Amino acid sequence: MSLSDLVLSIADNKQMLGLRYAEWATRAPSLEADIAAAAMGLDDLGHSRVLYGCLEPLGADPRGPQRESDPASLSNLAYFDEPWTEWSQFVAANAILDTAFTTMIEACAGGSVEVLQHRLRKMLMEERYHFLHGRSWLRSGIDSSPLDRAWREAIEWFGPPDGETATLHRDGKLSMGPAELRARLEEQLEMKAPRVAVEWTAWDPVRRRSSPGAIDQHTFAMLRGLEEKKYAPPSAAKQPAS
Amino acid sequence: MTKYQRVSGDAIEYEVFARKTRVEPLHQVGSVVAPDADLAMAYARATYDEERWVEMAIVRKDDLIHLWSPGEA
Repeated sequence: MSLSDLVLSIADNKQMLGLRYAEWATRAPSLEADIAAAAMGLDDLGHSRVLYGCLEPLGADPRGPQRESDPASLSNLAYFDEPWTEWSQFVAANAILDTAFTTMIEACAGGSVEVLQHRLRKMLMEERYHFLHGRSWLRSGIDSSPLDRAWREAIEWFGPPDGETATLHRDGKLSMGPAELRARLEEQLEMKAPRVAVEWTAWDPVRRRSSPGAIDQHTFAMLRGLEEKKYAPPSAAKQPAS
Repeated sequence: MTKYQRVSGDAIEYEVFARKTRVEPLHQVGSVVAPDADLAMAYARATYDEERWVEMAIVRKDDLIHLWSPGEA
């Protein structure tokens, strides 16, 4: 696992978070929450573009051709594999996972790598409003099941205490390691994480998750543009490329 | 599925003010309904972010002190 793998994981997760937010842009409990879901979705899709753009300057773009055909090659958390069916899932992702990604971005921006220092600052400002939204809805009370799952996946995503994320911290490339990231997340949310026992031997250091699986076929096809082609007129397929 | 109430007894209306340049005064651009100021800030930013404002602020509608209202002058 390299710093590029970590940045790719943030980018893939932000892309999926943005898409899942956007799916709730007409289903949230209020018109304001609909608009916030749409706006946060656009923010996170934009952030993912910035993060993908950091891969080349980092020197080693880990994206391979399998990303065109294999959804399991994307480095997203299992939480985003399927569309959410409950508002509680939205809130848990917004409060816990979105804030966890922001905390890691803080660690990147506060580290010694110049391209990350310079390019990630603006998204931290935008994320403030995601945090306020998530924390406020979290305080209103949600089901414990998505909340516990989001905490577990966030802690897994930060990585093992003695793994390569900790090494990146020791080397100064990240300003926080797994323990500091978790403490920062708890401090931000003003709550303690539930007890989570992670079996790190089953943890995939590139996808930063323990469970197998991948995003649903519809979402994967949409990401690749295949869903769009379904609606293209038949004549469009016959036209030679200019 | 969990039921959530939007406009309930604890929902508060906030007026949203903004300006595009330092030389112009803040003016009202709209309003949002939310149960607390944190959520109202997130909603105001999401709803009225179409312009490049240099400043945006919210205030509880209940905190406005009216000298008079339409029809009372």
